[in-house]
Amino acid sequence: MAEKSSESKNPLVKFILWIIEGLERTVFLGLKFTLPKRYLSPLGFLGMLTTVVFVTLGITGGILLYYYVPTLSGAFESVRRIDQVIPYGFMFRNIHYHASNAMVFLAAAHLYYQYFSGRYKIKNEIIWVTGIILGTVTVIEAYTGYDLLLNQRAVLAINIGSSLTNASPVIGPLLQQAILGSGFSDIVIRFYALHVFILPIAMLVLMMLHFPRYLVLDIPMNLAITGAILMLGGLFPVDLGVKFDPDLPPGITVPEWYVSAPYAFIRTGYEKFTTGGLLPALFILMFLVVPFIDKARKFSWADRPFFTAVGIASIGQIVVTTTWGFYINPNIELALIERLEIQPGLFYSTMVLISLICFGLTYVFLRYVKARQIAARARGRQPPGFILALSRKWVNVVILSLVIFQGVLNVMAYQSFELGFKNLSIFHAGAILISLSIIVHLYRYGIQLPRQIQPA
Amino acid sequence: MKLAALGGVVTAITPYIPYGAFLTQGGGTGTAERQRVILSDGTVANAKRFPTNSSQIIVYPRSGDRDQDAEPFKRFQLIRLPSPAGDPNAASAFRAYSMICVHLWCLWNYLPQFKQMQCPCHGSIYRVEDGLAIDGPASQQTPPNNALPKLDLEVDEAGDLWVLPPNWNVDENGIVGYGRKVQ
Repeated sequence: MAEKSSESKNPLVKFILWIIEGLERTVFLGLKFTLPKRYLSPLGFLGMLTTVVFVTLGITGGILLYYYVPTLSGAFESVRRIDQVIPYGFMFRNIHYHASNAMVFLAAAHLYYQYFSGRYKIKNEIIWVTGIILGTVTVIEAYTGYDLLLNQRAVLAINIGSSLTNASPVIGPLLQQAILGSGFSDIVIRFYALHVFILPIAMLVLMMLHFPRYLVLDIPMNLAITGAILMLGGLFPVDLGVKFDPDLPPGITVPEWYVSAPYAFIRTGYEKFTTGGLLPALFILMFLVVPFIDKARKFSWADRPFFTAVGIASIGQIVVTTTWGFYINPNIELALIERLEIQPGLFYSTMVLISLICFGLTYVFLRYVKARQIAARARGRQPPGFILALSRKWVNVVILSLVIFQGVLNVMAYQSFELGFKNLSIFHAGAILISLSIIVHLYRYGIQLPRQIQPA
Repeated sequence: MKLAALGGVVTAITPYIPYGAFLTQGGGTGTAERQRVILSDGTVANAKRFPTNSSQIIVYPRSGDRDQDAEPFKRFQLIRLPSPAGDPNAASAFRAYSMICVHLWCLWNYLPQFKQMQCPCHGSIYRVEDGLAIDGPASQQTPPNNALPKLDLEVDEAGDLWVLPPNWNVDENGIVGYGRKVQ
């Protein structure tokens, strides 16, 4: 960004540019950040968006540490206090929760975009492999996070995680004791250590090995995604759940969506380690080895029907198994264990069937698309679609009205908080960020327009 | 030379392998001392007074700290057998099993009418004589993952019950939350 050093810049801009120039000597600007001057499809920089959400999680999580108590008797109560007593604690917890979901989702979307566009090729194998590991650690990080709440849902997840570890061959019990200690007090403090320090540090190290040198930092899109997270936090405020009481048998709960697929596997009743551990591991392994199998020189998804079909089939499989994870037999007459059981025949057949259908349809569809493309190329290029072009004056008008809109939203956010509608308030705050993202986008568009001669 | 250097690296690493024990010393495994069995009303459990075919929750190892003693992994149930084989006032007439179900760590209850322990979560059923799972998901797990860890008890001249220092391994007292080998 330090390409212009004209005299017209004000001292503040000069100072910032001076700092950026100085930073070029550091490791930090070994990464080349590009601030795009126009709208780009966010699909191309989903990884950067994931990183921004990671930073959001770091900030909100750090603040939550001030009040969270990692003990057996204190954990749930401290979260309740954050949620209900501490001013704006509800906000931080909601943003943290929804950002964690957004991070897992964005990471998965990033994976699939890179997969379908064949970006794991051309010497990007290391970036790809570290990315897969990073994604796995991200899910574990999210898992340890929602366990810290120590409600019934968290304890269900802890129990399943521990029994899976336990079921590993030979070293299972040792591994269980080494990772989880012995008892719920140990688990809370250990997951706390893992969640707030060990795993994030591991993620930072992995990021160093994962970041490509050229990065797109699209400020409007980052603002919009943060705004969307806040709005989701307002629309679907995360609840506290039921406090874990060892003397009360837990009601029926399901784990978070990113671990509900392994949960479905376990509930089929087959051997735990194979179904809950090995099969998901096999799934991850498939992605790990893909760059070493797909050696063809073609990149586009349309040119690689087999691998695209595999990708779509894997999405189909994720959808099916995740949905099964949420399925509970609605017949309340049955015993709990019978309601939780998933018929293995039904489960595995739907999984295989849907995967095969996805694979077959995609494969056939891509053949068709290829034929269409060849036909289209013969016809010649299509004219570009509709483009909205604002004049400099209208850019000013729209920005000003958005500023007024934000002012109104500010008042509304304040008022709704005062009235106790915390979720409405957080929704308004998110809307403000989205509005700001539009302003920043219009600004970067507007400053590139030729300056009109002002009439005297 | 490469081999020698490799030897140097290996011998430099080996002393740190036992450091892994740092990870496995959880709260429940540390202390091992002889303790009186204290019932929920604060009195010492006594063989002359404890009713037959009944149970009470006890804490071991008891620290006196309310938060620490709330740990489910320290919770056991003292049961007096409905029909003991030998001397009815000897330690052999009592059992103390870890309340953590070895299936998914819920806490089981003793049902006197059925003379067995049952887990409310997924219906695992344990035999009162030796703590072995005889029905439900816990019984389908492979040994030693299918029996409840236990405490060894002792009765003194006054009839008071004592917990003997346990050895937390699968061959003796078992591992809480994991299981025990039943001979």
